[in-house]
Amino acid sequence: MAMNRRDFLKVSTSASGGLVLSLSLPGCATVDTGYSENAGIWRPDAWLEIQDNGNIYFTLARVEMGQGTYTGLTTLIAEELDVEPASIKPRFAPVAKEYLNPAYKLQITGGSTSVATSWEPLRRAGAEARYMLMMAAAKVWQVETDNCSTQDGRVVHPNGIDSLPYARLASLAASEIPRIEVPLKPRSEWKYIGKQMKRLDAEAKATGTAVYGIDIEQPGMLYAVVTRPPRYGAKVKSFNKADVTVHSGVKDVFEIERGVAVVATSYWRARRAQRALQVEWDNDDAITLSTESVFHHYYKDSEQDAGVSEREDGDYAQAEEQAGKVLHADYEQPYLAHFAMEPMNATAWYKGDAMEVWASTQAPDLGRIAAARGCDLSPGDITIHTTFLGGGFGRRLTNDYIEEAAAVSYRMKAPVKVIWSREEDTQHSPCRPAMLHRMRAAVSGNKLEGWHHQIVGPQILDWYITNAAPAQYPWAPKMLYNTLGRVGLAAEGLATPKDVSAIEGAIDYPYQVPNVELRHTHSDPGFPITWWRSVGYSHNGFAVETFMDEIAHELGEDPIAFRRARLQNQPRHLQVLDRVAEMSRWNSASSSGRAKGVAVFQSFGTFVAQVVEASIEGGEIKVHKVWCAVDCGQVVNLSVVSDQIKGGILFGLSAALWGEITLADGKVQQSNFHDYPVMAMHNLPDVELDIMDSNEAPTGVGEPGVPPVIPALGNALFRLTGVRQRRLPLKATG
Amino acid sequence: MISLVVNGEKRSLDVDSGTPLLWVLRDELNLKGTKFGCGAGLCGACTVHVGGTPTRACQTPVEAVNGQEITTIEGLSKNGELHPLQQAWVEHGVPQCGYCQSGQIMTAAHLLEQNPSPSEDDIVNAMAGNLCRCGTYHRIVEAVKSASST
Repeated sequence: MAMNRRDFLKVSTSASGGLVLSLSLPGCATVDTGYSENAGIWRPDAWLEIQDNGNIYFTLARVEMGQGTYTGLTTLIAEELDVEPASIKPRFAPVAKEYLNPAYKLQITGGSTSVATSWEPLRRAGAEARYMLMMAAAKVWQVETDNCSTQDGRVVHPNGIDSLPYARLASLAASEIPRIEVPLKPRSEWKYIGKQMKRLDAEAKATGTAVYGIDIEQPGMLYAVVTRPPRYGAKVKSFNKADVTVHSGVKDVFEIERGVAVVATSYWRARRAQRALQVEWDNDDAITLSTESVFHHYYKDSEQDAGVSEREDGDYAQAEEQAGKVLHADYEQPYLAHFAMEPMNATAWYKGDAMEVWASTQAPDLGRIAAARGCDLSPGDITIHTTFLGGGFGRRLTNDYIEEAAAVSYRMKAPVKVIWSREEDTQHSPCRPAMLHRMRAAVSGNKLEGWHHQIVGPQILDWYITNAAPAQYPWAPKMLYNTLGRVGLAAEGLATPKDVSAIEGAIDYPYQVPNVELRHTHSDPGFPITWWRSVGYSHNGFAVETFMDEIAHELGEDPIAFRRARLQNQPRHLQVLDRVAEMSRWNSASSSGRAKGVAVFQSFGTFVAQVVEASIEGGEIKVHKVWCAVDCGQVVNLSVVSDQIKGGILFGLSAALWGEITLADGKVQQSNFHDYPVMAMHNLPDVELDIMDSNEAPTGVGEPGVPPVIPALGNALFRLTGVRQRRLPLKATG
Repeated sequence: MISLVVNGEKRSLDVDSGTPLLWVLRDELNLKGTKFGCGAGLCGACTVHVGGTPTRACQTPVEAVNGQEITTIEGLSKNGELHPLQQAWVEHGVPQCGYCQSGQIMTAAHLLEQNPSPSEDDIVNAMAGNLCRCGTYHRIVEAVKSASST
C-alpha cells in the first residue's frame, strides 16, 4: 500500500531525551479510543523508542501466542534500523488506536495478518529512524547525510573510521525530519529478513521466566472460580451460598452475569469450596441441542432455503440438466474446541475510578469492552495489559474470561484472578462451528461441467459483534452495546469487513469449471461459536478438496492430474502442487498397506499443497508422512514460517483424527485431553516441508498449514480402503 | 506445617495439606515456571522432579511430598548457566507459545539423567505424555538429541 510518510509518522522526544517514533496506520478508525497518554518515559503510542542509554524499545501491536510475531515483527524493524534483532526489547502494546489491525479496524491478532499488514509500515519506521540518526550524526560531523552509513547500531562517518552509537544520537535525531522519501533496503542487502534466525523469546520460554496471563501476581490478590450453566442460556435460579462460605479461605460467593463466582484466598481453596456449590438453574432459555439435532436442523434448513448466492459462474442448473451424470456428497463437520495449553484466565483490579486488567488475549480492545460490561466503568477507564499467550488459535478473541474477572473484582474491590479449569474451558468455550456442506457436480463424459456447493451453518460475526462494535465506538453508552452490534451487522462492512467466515475457501474455488455456484444457507443452532485456526477455510478445505477427489475417482483420473488440468490459470497453486508431487514421489506406489492422498488449497493468501501417507494399524489410523510445499511470498523468518506450517499440519491432523465436541441435551460431552485427544509425540508423522522462494509480498503462515491436511488424509484413507468418509473426524474403517 | 526442599532451598509452609504441589509452587512459593494445563495428569505441563523422579505436580497433594526434594524449571540451571537442554531449546528454537516447555524440559532432563544417549524411540517413549498444541515435537526430539551428545 502506498502511503505518505507524514501521514503515518510522528516524531517526538521522550522524557529521557530519546527518539520516539509513533505511527498511525492507514485505513484505521479515527474515533477516539478513550486512551489518555500517560506522562512518563514511555509514550504508549510509540512504536519505536531509542533511548539515550542505548535501549531500543519496540511496541508489539500483535500479540505473541506462539506464531512468532515477537521475533518476526521485531526483525522487520531491526532490518531497516540496522541493528541486531536481539538488541531490541519488544513490549506488548496497550489499547490505542495506533495499534489497530488495519485488516479489521480492531486491535486484534488473527487471520494470519500480522506480517502482511506490518511488512511495509514497520520497515518504513525503521528506515525513517535510521535516516534521522544519520542526519543527526551528519550535523555533528558537518558532513552530508547521504555519505554516512550505518552498521549494527552505529552511524559510520564517510571516512569509514569514526562512528557514533545510536544512543548518543537519539535525542539529536528527534529534531530531524527527513526531507526525502527514505528508501527501503533492496532485497540483496537484507541481513535478517529471510535468514534463519533464532526466536527472540526462546530463552525466556526455556527457563520458565516468560510471563503469561496466568502468572500475574498483584498485592493482596484473591482468586476466583466460576460455576457456569451446564446448558448455554440457562440462568441462575438459586444456590447454596452458606454451604460454600464455611470452607476455609472463602471470601465470598455471589452471582455474576455468567454464573456463580467463588472467591477465596487461593486458587485451590476456591476450587475446593466450589465442589460444595450447588446451583439450581432456570433452563427456560437454555439450549437442549444434541449433535444429531444440530445436523437435523441443518438438513432441514438446507431443504427449505437454498441460501444466499455468493458466487455464480455460468449456469449450474442448466449444466446439471444437460449433464450425463450428477454426483452428490454431503459432508458433516463437527464443533471443534481450541484446547490452548494455557487455560482461560484473567486478572482484574477495580480501583474505583479505573480498572487494570492483565490477560492473555488476542483482542485487547474487545477485552476492554468485556471488562466494561462487568463493572460500572467506561472502556476509557480500563487499561488492558497483555502478556505472552499460552496458545490462542482464535479462542482468545472472545474475552468472556476478562468479563468474569472484571465483574468479580468490581464486587470485591480487590485484585482478583479468575482461572478456568480444563474441564470448564472444554465445556464453556465457544467452538469452531459445526457445518454441513452439500455438494453436487455435473459431469459429462470425462468433463466436469458444473460445481455446486451449498454451505449450511452459522456466521461467526453474529456472536462477536456485540463486543466488536462497541470496541470501535468506545464512547458509546453501555446500554447501547448490543444495539450497536445489531446495527453493525445490519450495515455489513461498516463496523467490520463482510463476514466471510462461512464461505472463505469456497468462494475462491480455484478450479476452471464452466459453471460454478456457491450458496450459503444461514442456519444457526444457537450454540456459541468463534474463530478457530483457519476459520472457514478449515471446513471448506475439507469439502472442496474431498469432493474434487471424489470427482477425479468417478472420472477415473489421477487426483493430481485432475486438479492440474483445472489449475492452468492458477500458477501459484500449480507450482506448489507440482512441487509436492515431486517431493512425495506421487507416481511411485506406497509400500504395502499404505496409501497417499493429496490436497492443494489457498488460504490467507498463502498457497499450500500437501500429500499425506497413511495406513490403518491395530484398528487405528497411522499417519506416516506429510509432504508440504508452501508459497507464502517473501519469507521474513524461515524458522518461524517452517514452525507455523508444521504446527498447522499437526493441529489439522488432531482435528481430522479426533477433533469433535458433541452435544447431548444441550451439554458438551467432552471434558479434558482424555476425551478430546490431540497429537502427541508417539503419533507424530514425519513432515517434509519446502518453502518456495518468492518475491511476492509476504502472506500469513499461522493458519494455512491446517486446511489441506484434513482432506489429504481423508483422500489417502479412501485410496487405502475404498471407503469414502464424509463425516469428520475420520475413523479407521474399511 | 509442610516442609520441602525446593531447588536446594528448605521451605516451610503453612498450607492446606491436600493442596496440589502445583499450586503450592506457583502461588505460595511464586515459582511460576511450572504450568497448569489440565489438572488431571494428562498433559505434562506441570512436570517437576520429586526426589529426582518426574512427577505431575497437579496430581500430587503437597502432604505426599513432605520433606522431599523438589526441582522445578527454575532450579534446573546451575551456577547461572543454562542446563544443556535449555541451551539446546534456545539453539533449536523449540518454543512457540512456550507454555508446555517447562514440563517438556523437566521430562527430558530426567530422561538424560537415566539415559545419557537415548535413541529416538527412547525419546518418544519418555516424552509421549507431554502435550504441545503448537506442534513443537519435531524440534523437541532434535534438541534432546543434541543435548545428549554434548
